Amino acid sequence: MHSILNITRNDLRIFFSQRGNLMGLVALPVLFTLVLGWAFGGNGDNSAPRLRVDLIDQDQSAPSAQFIDDLHRANDALVLCPADNDADDFCQLNGEPLTVERAIARARNEDTEALIVIPAGYAEGMASFAPVQIDFYAAGNPTLPNPVRQSLDVVVQQASSAALTTNVLDAVLQDVTVRIGIDALTQNLRSQFATELYANVQTQFADRPDTVRYVASAGEDAASVDQGFGQSTSGMGAMYVMFTVLGGMAVLQRERAQWTLQRLNSLPVAPWQILAGKMLTYFCLGMLQFLVVFATGLLVGLNYGRNWPALMLVMVAFVLCCTAIAFAIAPRVTNEEQAGGVARLLAMALAPLGGAWWPLEIVPPFMRQIGHLSPVAWAMDAFHDLLFFGGRLTDILPEVGVLLAITILFFGIGVNSFRKLLA
Amino acid sequence: MPPMVQTQKLCKSFRRSDGSMVDAVKGVTFDIEKGEIFSLLGPNGAGKTTLISMISGLLAPTEGDATIGGFSITQQPIEAKKLMGFIPQEIALYPELSARQNLLFFGRMYGLGGKELNRRVDEVLAFIDLADRQKDRIDTFSGGMKRRVNIAVGLLHRPQLIYMDEPTVGIDPQNRRRILDTVKQLRDQFQMTVLYTTHLMEEAQELSDRVGIIDHGEIIALGEQGELTQQVGEEDRIEIGLGNRAVPATYPAELQAQIPGVTRILYTPAEQLAEGSSQSTPARLTAFAKRGRTALPQLIQVLNKDGYEIQSVEVREPDLEAVFLALTGRALRD
Ligand SMILES: Nc1ncnc2c1ncn2[C@@H]1O[C@H](COP(=O)(O)OP(=O)(O)O)[C@@H](O)[C@H]1O
Ligand SMILES: [Mg+2]
Repeated sequence: MHSILNITRNDLRIFFSQRGNLMGLVALPVLFTLVLGWAFGGNGDNSAPRLRVDLIDQDQSAPSAQFIDDLHRANDALVLCPADNDADDFCQLNGEPLTVERAIARARNEDTEALIVIPAGYAEGMASFAPVQIDFYAAGNPTLPNPVRQSLDVVVQQASSAALTTNVLDAVLQDVTVRIGIDALTQNLRSQFATELYANVQTQFADRPDTVRYVASAGEDAASVDQGFGQSTSGMGAMYVMFTVLGGMAVLQRERAQWTLQRLNSLPVAPWQILAGKMLTYFCLGMLQFLVVFATGLLVGLNYGRNWPALMLVMVAFVLCCTAIAFAIAPRVTNEEQAGGVARLLAMALAPLGGAWWPLEIVPPFMRQIGHLSPVAWAMDAFHDLLFFGGRLTDILPEVGVLLAITILFFGIGVNSFRKLLA
Repeated sequence: MPPMVQTQKLCKSFRRSDGSMVDAVKGVTFDIEKGEIFSLLGPNGAGKTTLISMISGLLAPTEGDATIGGFSITQQPIEAKKLMGFIPQEIALYPELSARQNLLFFGRMYGLGGKELNRRVDEVLAFIDLADRQKDRIDTFSGGMKRRVNIAVGLLHRPQLIYMDEPTVGIDPQNRRRILDTVKQLRDQFQMTVLYTTHLMEEAQELSDRVGIIDHGEIIALGEQGELTQQVGEEDRIEIGLGNRAVPATYPAELQAQIPGVTRILYTPAEQLAEGSSQSTPARLTAFAKRGRTALPQLIQVLNKDGYEIQSVEVREPDLEAVFLALTGRALRD
């Protein structure tokens, strides 16, 4: 153990004695995390995510149309299928009709964010100020905030406030007419008045969209800042971890060329201790790299909440995975330059493929599948789960499991060929 | 007393990148006695580094084994390695660290620590005369200074046995002198056993108690210097450097026939020192004769008559170079 720690300490000292390494470990990752974070999270209407939501209007009335309008106004990211479908079939309807059963299945499979059903009789119910039920289906934890439901809540609240206001005014009106002794208004007149009143209140709300939207849009904006830096910290973290850890291959080849590795092997230490010391070096550097990037996220206001242990677990699994890959490849290249080239190539290929540059959620499904050939994708899935979707430790265990399986595979290869580097 | 090092039929084959095999070491067996300087003398590519790598546990032998102080290097590598200090042909130091940091690191790897470690480091720094530069980074050192630190690392744990693989390659005469003196000091002052490899006859001659001559992966002669030179007889060796005119293949034999007392004449054509280099070693005739000084005038006379330009003449007593020449027909080249 003493020998292993001694090797690691010495390697780290050498790493930090080189200025260029600090550039790669701190300056560049911090810069790119910030730039990408702002780019993703900034005032980008065009980069705003689009949420696929099925909306079945069984009422087909003016009030239901009004309701749909209000939904759009509350959250312009909503694509209400099938009505809003575009030429690219964003709704993924494949030209088939959207029945309630199909829509429920889609929501359950998370093909859509949610399903909203406006029942037949909505207009009638609103007119008579009777309670109407809007059905909402979404997979996932109902206690967690969901942008679609938040928007829906706003609209429903708006509609019922209008109805409530109308109801109250109607009651007051009746009270007043009774008190001042005029003949009670005919039912017909009253209803006409109430309807006008309702429409008026609705218009009032609509004319002051800011106050109404405020609730929804404040939440949305907050989420998009988080999303920008959530994406950039996890993405840049994963990419620079790969640069740093895979860069170890070049260092191993340099040590072989300058014979320090062979000299270590001529000392009374077992080869496995040398391997462990070197691996521990790159494990430490990888973890440090993640911490630098996630600390940057913390500084710009990213909130990791109580997810720290789970985030750390993902980081550990990903860094172990990169370390194992580095040590599996290092004996198979012939010199430092080649090792550096392979390291850069791997990092630059696996990072975008695995969603480190842009979220895999926005690429076509087949690209998403190919992307999961990259360990980065599994780490990104886990990070996104924790940062955006309220995932807990137990939710990310499958991703961590995949990363550890890759680790074991490459570790086996690396252990077998490490001796090649020592002689 | 049992030998310090015993090798038994050590073999090493490498697979080249094109798939073919190279037998770098072919069944080498020899002993190194306690307290002696044993030199392995052989030209570049003879297999010296491969051999020393096997007996220091870096390379697994393809066949055979070696014991160090009784411990098998393949079966008990840790015990065997504790007895030895290995000084590689390359400068195996961390260029980014200071001399002292390098020594401290390797000292800790030998299991040293605390005051003991610091004392040993001070000791070896004084021994190589670099105490004043100990805080400087290795990459600011001259080649000779790096070589001395390289040696110091192998001495930190006061091993009984030191391997030195061509420790004087690429340094100036002053530093070379210093290193040769150091090697003798290790034997005479500290009773260490030294295995020293070189392609320089003079070094082997100056240092060794015993010499193994290695060529193409085989030990072709082994013993004390006197024994070896006796093997080639008591003949002197006359080295004649020739101008650029090429010598026909049949000429050495014709020449030998004309001069009584000359037993053999070898021809070594001119050779470029390095690819693309303008420097080259001149073509040489090497004649062996019982009494070199009597054969010399006649040799010069015949060469003059045949129109060869003589650039240099040297008569040498029997030496290791002669042994190598006699056994291989080739010269040991610097
Ligand atoms: N790793 C290797 N792979 C292939 N061939 C090698 C390797 N190491 C050494 N050789 C070959 O083995 C022979 C002996 O090399 P080496 O032991 O370095 O000689 P020396 O140290 O005497 O100059 C050479 O022909 C060399 O090319
Ligand atoms: Mg060599």
